[in-house]
Amino acid sequence: MIDKLVKGALALALSAGTAAAQDYPSEPILLIVPYSPGGNGDITSRFIADQASDILGVNFVVENRAGGGAFIGINSCANADPDGYTICFISTSPITVRPHVIEAPYDPMTDLSYLGQYMLSKQPVIVRNDGKYDSIEDVIAFAKENPGQLRWSAAVPRGGPHLATEAMFRAEEAVTTFLPSKGGAIELANLLSGTIDLAVISDYGPALDNGEIKILAETSPGRNPQAPDAPTLGELGYPLELASFFALAAPAGLPDEVISVWDDTLAQISETEQFAQLMERIKAEGAYLNSADFTARVRGDFEAMGEATETYGLAE
Amino acid sequence: MDSIIAGAQLALTWQSLLAVLAGVVVGQVLGAVPGLTATMTVALLIPYTYYLDPWVGVPMLIGMFKGSLFGSSVTAILIKTPGTPAAAATVMDGYPLAQQGKGEKACKMALYSSVFGDSFSDIVLIFGASFLAAIALNFGPAEYTLLVAFSLITMGFISGARIWKGIVAMGMGMLLGIIGLDPVTATPRMTMGFLELEEGIGLIPMLIGFLAVAEVLRQMEHPVEKLATSAVTFSEKREDRRVSWAEFRSVLPTLLKSSSLGTAVGALPGISATVAAFLAYNEARRTSKAPETFGKGALDGIAAPESANNAVSGANLIPMMAFGIPGDIAAALILSALLIQGITPGPVVFRDNPEPIYAVFTALLLANAINLVLGHGLVHMARRVVTVPKRILFPVVIVIAAAGAYAMRGSVFDVQLVFLFGLLGWGLTKLAFPTVPLLIGFILMPILESNLRISMLIAGSVPNPLGYFFARPAFIALLGAMALLLILVLRRLLRDRQAMRAADMAGG
Repeated sequence: MIDKLVKGALALALSAGTAAAQDYPSEPILLIVPYSPGGNGDITSRFIADQASDILGVNFVVENRAGGGAFIGINSCANADPDGYTICFISTSPITVRPHVIEAPYDPMTDLSYLGQYMLSKQPVIVRNDGKYDSIEDVIAFAKENPGQLRWSAAVPRGGPHLATEAMFRAEEAVTTFLPSKGGAIELANLLSGTIDLAVISDYGPALDNGEIKILAETSPGRNPQAPDAPTLGELGYPLELASFFALAAPAGLPDEVISVWDDTLAQISETEQFAQLMERIKAEGAYLNSADFTARVRGDFEAMGEATETYGLAE
Repeated sequence: MDSIIAGAQLALTWQSLLAVLAGVVVGQVLGAVPGLTATMTVALLIPYTYYLDPWVGVPMLIGMFKGSLFGSSVTAILIKTPGTPAAAATVMDGYPLAQQGKGEKACKMALYSSVFGDSFSDIVLIFGASFLAAIALNFGPAEYTLLVAFSLITMGFISGARIWKGIVAMGMGMLLGIIGLDPVTATPRMTMGFLELEEGIGLIPMLIGFLAVAEVLRQMEHPVEKLATSAVTFSEKREDRRVSWAEFRSVLPTLLKSSSLGTAVGALPGISATVAAFLAYNEARRTSKAPETFGKGALDGIAAPESANNAVSGANLIPMMAFGIPGDIAAALILSALLIQGITPGPVVFRDNPEPIYAVFTALLLANAINLVLGHGLVHMARRVVTVPKRILFPVVIVIAAAGAYAMRGSVFDVQLVFLFGLLGWGLTKLAFPTVPLLIGFILMPILESNLRISMLIAGSVPNPLGYFFARPAFIALLGAMALLLILVLRRLLRDRQAMRAADMAGG
């Protein structure tokens, strides 16, 4: 009797489970943003929530759970029920980079499902436009002749762009002085004032238009449209270039139905006029990848980062 | 001239006027809610401003930022709860004045000082942006280190209480300030394993706990009957409700000095309005003829931080206009609104396409005027809210404090911090430790540490380390000025001691 009851309940639960996946979504969806309000991650997440709510016909609740360099928000997403009703915004650093150099509370390879990517941002290597350096070779030559005298910084210490550039210097066995930073705007000021000679930052638009700075290379795959002549680190033969992606993730073990709903939804959103306008406004590149392709990218970048961390001792 | 008029016309449409008005109203009200900073409100509203015409969106943002800086002072004065961190220094003399029944006067002083500081820095911005920005670029990590180290030293000396207690409190603040990621190695430090502490202790939970919750705890010591009365009473005497012309004239030197200081600090990217407010307060007290009145309800003690923190917000636009470097989030938002319009701030823009820049200037000045007018309304409203009995007001304050701390980043941990710091603040007051040096140490320590260590890294990267520092004109000038100021501070300290000893002898 009890056996039957348990089996019945189990069957009911299972059918309810599949029914829920087939009806997905039928309840409000929680979208966790692991950063404080105001950044591009937050802005684009709210935009996606708004658009997806129209397409899917359910409400979205966007919640900022910031802290621990995005580890806290992503961890609460990784530990939620894998039913598609809790999803989160993710970017490169807490997924493919920082888990290699700082202990993360989750394993990006086993604890998360990746729903898809919608945007890429460019992270160029820039210098002052004063004729001192015209190419990466010039920079490397100076750094090798004058150990420790090349001072540089990156907007996010131990983020992907920083470590990709660091890997380049280590591959060349060039000793440099990395100055920690408090953000892109301050590093731009430091670059203009000569405190540093090279910066890896993404908020450089006005200074580039005013002719005060010059882009020498790009730390992510694909050349920067603002400087089509500047090669990427990969093209130059350096060991590491990492995509700087904006994407959505969910707890691991998501039903296939949910993943295909999001494949369709993200594809649809990324083709709208409003999405193009938003990308134009935040000077970013709309770049949609479905769940399968994006998961492959994350795995590839994660492994490349892991190898580079080992080979060049980037964790120290 | 034509471009000035054309620019002004862009910002003087009725849509823009309404936008500034709406921005100031929303800013003042939300600024008064602890935890809801202008930055956060604006951040949440940005997606909507994308759909607006920029000459509606930008004036609204400007109005909101200016309104919130004043709104946050009102709660700082009346219930010792700064709405935003920038108003923390205003508590020191604002709250005592409110206790004396002069809350309305204090709020109006804060309003006039805010508008004064705003207008001052806006005018400096309009006439001297490119000049000042070029000077500010000479301030590197070495100069920041000097500036902050000097502020810590002088503030430790003149905290009012016994010097050793001031130093102990400041040391505690500094220790709390280094919790989080190590600025050089970016590895967690003193976080006791809490991921929540990796970005350091939040300034907002710390301030709300330390000031508001500690005050509520202190009030809870009172017998029950006393809690039926209201926390703040308002004197009906005319002279306690307004700031007279004579009083305004008497604080004018402080206003000018603090606005200049705020403008200078604002032109340096990376130093916040909160820091400027404490610096200005300290400087006003140092140069005052009656420093003993500070902390007991001196009008100068409101005028200094209020004008300085508002001056910072205008001056943050200086590096933005000159080089496209936003000094804070407000400037970053205005920058992005300009970029969307295809306008790139920088030296070229004043020559080629200055109308939008003049439109921003017009909106700034307009927002100041509207802030002044609407501020009176907010004071009137606040007056009615805070005269409810304590046994109703204080529980409400506790709930708002907790909600405000939670709202920042959706973290229960921050709510727990609020109460922890409430207890700590209450305990320190019981032991007669001054709390202000602790706050100052906490705010300045991260700036000091990262700049000191970066300076050392730079010095290590050049062949002649000492030469690096002494080849910098700004460094030498600053060092000289500070040595001189330090001598003045020490002389005054010594004189006060002698006077005290003489008084003791006479008494004994």
